[in-house]
Amino acid sequence: MSREKLERLGLNLPLFPTTSVGSFPKPDYLVRARADFTKGKIAPDQLNGLERKATAFWIETQEKLGVDVLVDGEMYRGDMVAYFAERLPGFTEGGLVRAYGNRYYHKPIVTGEVSWPGPVTVDWWRYAQSLTKKPVKGMLTGAYTIMDWSFNEHYPDRRATAMALAVVIRKEVEALIAAGCKIIQIDEPALSVRSEELPIALEAMENTTKNLDAYFITHACYGEFEQIYPGMLALAVDNFDLEMSNSDLDLLEIFRRHPFTKDISFGVVDVHSHRMESAEAVRRRVERALTILPEERIWIDPDCGLKTRTVEEAIDKLRLCVEAAKSFRA
Amino acid sequence: MSSSLDSKLPGLRLASTGSYPRIGDGPELQILRRATAALDRGERNMADLLDAENEMTRRAIADQMRAGLEMITDGQIRWYDPISHIASKLDNIKIAGLQRYFDTNFYFRQPVITDVPKRSDALVAKEFSFARNALGHLPTPKHLTGKLSIKPVLTGPYTLAKFSVSSHAGNGTVEAFSSLEARALAYADTLAAEIIALTQIGASLIQIDEPAIIKYPEDWKIFEKAVAKLIAARDEHAPEGRRPELALYTYFHDSAALYEKLIALDVDAIGLDFTYNPKLVELVASAGSPKPLGLGLIDGRNTKLEDVVEVARQIDRLLPKIHGGRAYLNASCGLEYLPRDRAYAKLELLAKIRAAVAA
Repeated sequence: MSREKLERLGLNLPLFPTTSVGSFPKPDYLVRARADFTKGKIAPDQLNGLERKATAFWIETQEKLGVDVLVDGEMYRGDMVAYFAERLPGFTEGGLVRAYGNRYYHKPIVTGEVSWPGPVTVDWWRYAQSLTKKPVKGMLTGAYTIMDWSFNEHYPDRRATAMALAVVIRKEVEALIAAGCKIIQIDEPALSVRSEELPIALEAMENTTKNLDAYFITHACYGEFEQIYPGMLALAVDNFDLEMSNSDLDLLEIFRRHPFTKDISFGVVDVHSHRMESAEAVRRRVERALTILPEERIWIDPDCGLKTRTVEEAIDKLRLCVEAAKSFRA
Repeated sequence: MSSSLDSKLPGLRLASTGSYPRIGDGPELQILRRATAALDRGERNMADLLDAENEMTRRAIADQMRAGLEMITDGQIRWYDPISHIASKLDNIKIAGLQRYFDTNFYFRQPVITDVPKRSDALVAKEFSFARNALGHLPTPKHLTGKLSIKPVLTGPYTLAKFSVSSHAGNGTVEAFSSLEARALAYADTLAAEIIALTQIGASLIQIDEPAIIKYPEDWKIFEKAVAKLIAARDEHAPEGRRPELALYTYFHDSAALYEKLIALDVDAIGLDFTYNPKLVELVASAGSPKPLGLGLIDGRNTKLEDVVEVARQIDRLLPKIHGGRAYLNASCGLEYLPRDRAYAKLELLAKIRAAVAA
């Protein structure tokens, strides 16, 4: 039971703890500053100052809304894999490849042995945590997903690449823990992409978190979870943060067939839609969750990162999560 | 590539598997991206977009020729994705949200069938005509004179059906299209018409992509029925003396379990992705093939360049077991999953490998 682990870590969270998946929309001034920085028009310090300002805005916003476990909002990140690949020795930035339609990204290439250059995210976590007394999650991308979203020219195969990356991500986890971070989210959105590789993803996460004292969450989305369930429950984390609402809570049916045995951060609002759900619709989603999952295991949050929404939409969606949680605590 | 080397291996042709990157790092290679974005903003019109597509198509063809390929494509530069590019041109199909395309980091738009899909216009025939014209206007390298040809590519009926869903049209047709078989056969009818149209304008080889069947082999019977309609179109409706060849390509999964069934199909060539199973070379070499194979020995999804000698050795093992020694040496899948510079390097690699085989 992970609630005991949370209490042992000194975290006394209410029933239905509220959180969010990681990213928030960047305010307009930061979007402009990032573009200016790319063109060489502003200095790194100027950009950093604005990233800190935006981070403070989101910490304050989450506090005002009454969110229980906060995130820094990733004001300093673009892509969740490229952010790490740009900082880890062993990676080279690749040319542009298409994600869909007219959207392209620089897919990283593993061209040498990957290694840990020292703390990558710890300063940002420390800064965000300094702004609040509520716990702030450490936010990392998992070894399996970094491997899957990169080309590999160095390691003999995908497993070897994932295991090398697990060593690196583990060091970042250790650094976050040493800095005082107690809840660490290690995202694995690629978890279900190749069901036959689930053992690799499990081994990589085991190597990342084994015997480390923190409460671990993983976020996964857009997947064929029926292909990897219930095997995925062996992932070495305490809490699965899952996109539930976008698929009309379809996953509950597979949980009915085989019990879900971890804590769950249950996505109750769709992040891919501008439409704002009604409070009643969100409550109904929680009620459906409660028909299958024990209340002490349920956290409440949006389906996925909110960075594709406007600032106002993101705040409204978060508010829906908080209000739903409060109504069930009463 | 010298012609003396080619003459030692007359049956091994260098081929494209389909797509080619529609973008590169330099500004001259970003014209399509910019034109599309400008169109979305209302600052350009469709004619501007078409110009950009045409220019990037010419560049894709030129790259393939420069690398020494003999069987080339238009690079599928105009394709939004392999599913909606075909489906969106059919009547009674709506295009919905994004879905992951196999185990790639690429997403396609899902078709929703609302009523009997109908082909009221060309699917790829106009694109094929443009590409053939463009090819004719580019200077042909001496060693490729008389050897160059261009093939249209169609996503196959089973794969289209597997990634489509049906929706209520309010007239009872939804029940019919909720079945995979009904969707596959309906798509097959439209693709059969396209094959006839392509044949009439002179396509001599038409590639049919059916990646989904090797991932879902349990659907073989449905797949076979759908492909039979394409085979019938090839055989029954081709003008005198113009029977085209159908090359059925598979990728993104291990084809070992279906290999015997694939080569028994009444198509003219089978394309195989060798990157998912290191034992596939041995399996194919042992079983042999009564028809030409597309040898996807070069990984179209990873930037690492394969060892020339090692791949040449694999071809040495395979070629004598393929009837007539006829095969296409190509990447395991279309190359748009790679950055453009690496995609071109893979094309050049094909020529180096053939030279090593011939040496």
